[in-house]
Amino acid sequence: MPTFPPLNVATDPKTYRVTFILPDGSETCLEVGEDERLYAAACRAGLNLPCLCLQGWCITCAARVEGEGAWDQSLSLRYFPQDREAGFILLCTARPRSDLRIRTHQRVALRDYRISRKLPTPRG
Amino acid sequence: MATKRHASDNIVGHGDLTKRVGVEQIRARGVDVEKLIDLLIDAAGAEFTTYYYYTILRMYLAGNEDYKEICEDARLEDRAHFELITPRIYELGGSIPKDIREFADRAGCPDAYLPDDPTPTNILTVLLEAERCAIRTWSEICDLTLGKDPRTYDMASRILQEEIEHEAWFIELLSKERDGVVRPSGHFRRGTPGEAPYSKNLGFYNP
Repeated sequence: MPTFPPLNVATDPKTYRVTFILPDGSETCLEVGEDERLYAAACRAGLNLPCLCLQGWCITCAARVEGEGAWDQSLSLRYFPQDREAGFILLCTARPRSDLRIRTHQRVALRDYRISRKLPTPRG
Repeated sequence: MATKRHASDNIVGHGDLTKRVGVEQIRARGVDVEKLIDLLIDAAGAEFTTYYYYTILRMYLAGNEDYKEICEDARLEDRAHFELITPRIYELGGSIPKDIREFADRAGCPDAYLPDDPTPTNILTVLLEAERCAIRTWSEICDLTLGKDPRTYDMASRILQEEIEHEAWFIELLSKERDGVVRPSGHFRRGTPGEAPYSKNLGFYNP
């Protein structure tokens, strides 16, 4: 079981530029520390993104990385290699390892993707 | 793109057994019934798996009898929640999965596994985060049904109230155990283990 660091870590020496693309097309660019979870960073910037378990399980916070990017998802309780291959990211437990462009609100897309590959997922 | 339903789709014909007025009325008021059923099944899966995992967590609180008893209350009340949700799923026209593995796989909250290092602090942390996930789940279901589906809302509200109490218990215990800080829950004891004062009080079907 992963050990969860504090939600807000604002003093990371290394930061990355992370752009959140919302459903209305608006973009918010943030500096995110390498130990800060992306969902916490979005909250810090005032973005109101969906979440539920905050443990990397329920996929409510699912998003999708556009283009190339690297991220650490080791804090997640359930995240599949196939999720990563398709660019899906669970913001609540993901930490950046490169600059990222992320399209938010992808819960339904990840749910349908997992169902198509017979992977476990909440359905609601 | 989904086809827009015609208003007449909500009419249940005389003697028609293929539809339920109790479902069509809430659909007409704006509830996405299929989504609600899916959410309820996910939530029922989470309550059921939580009940299962709390059974194990409880065992490893040996020697901390106060923690064990409170864990037992939460465990039994989560089982009561499963019992309360399931009839509503069927009333709405849904059903829980035939295979329990599928049921567990689609649970909306994480498996509350026994920590690798099962200290009271680590176990209480698992318990606390499980309750927090449940609170968010039932808050969402309350939001979806408020003013549209009084029966599901009433059920979700009762469950939510107990989950909020559970969170308060585990904050109190973990705060003292881990940080040495008193953060009272404001509660003292259930009358009997797993009393479930909200979800078993006038439950519409809860044996």
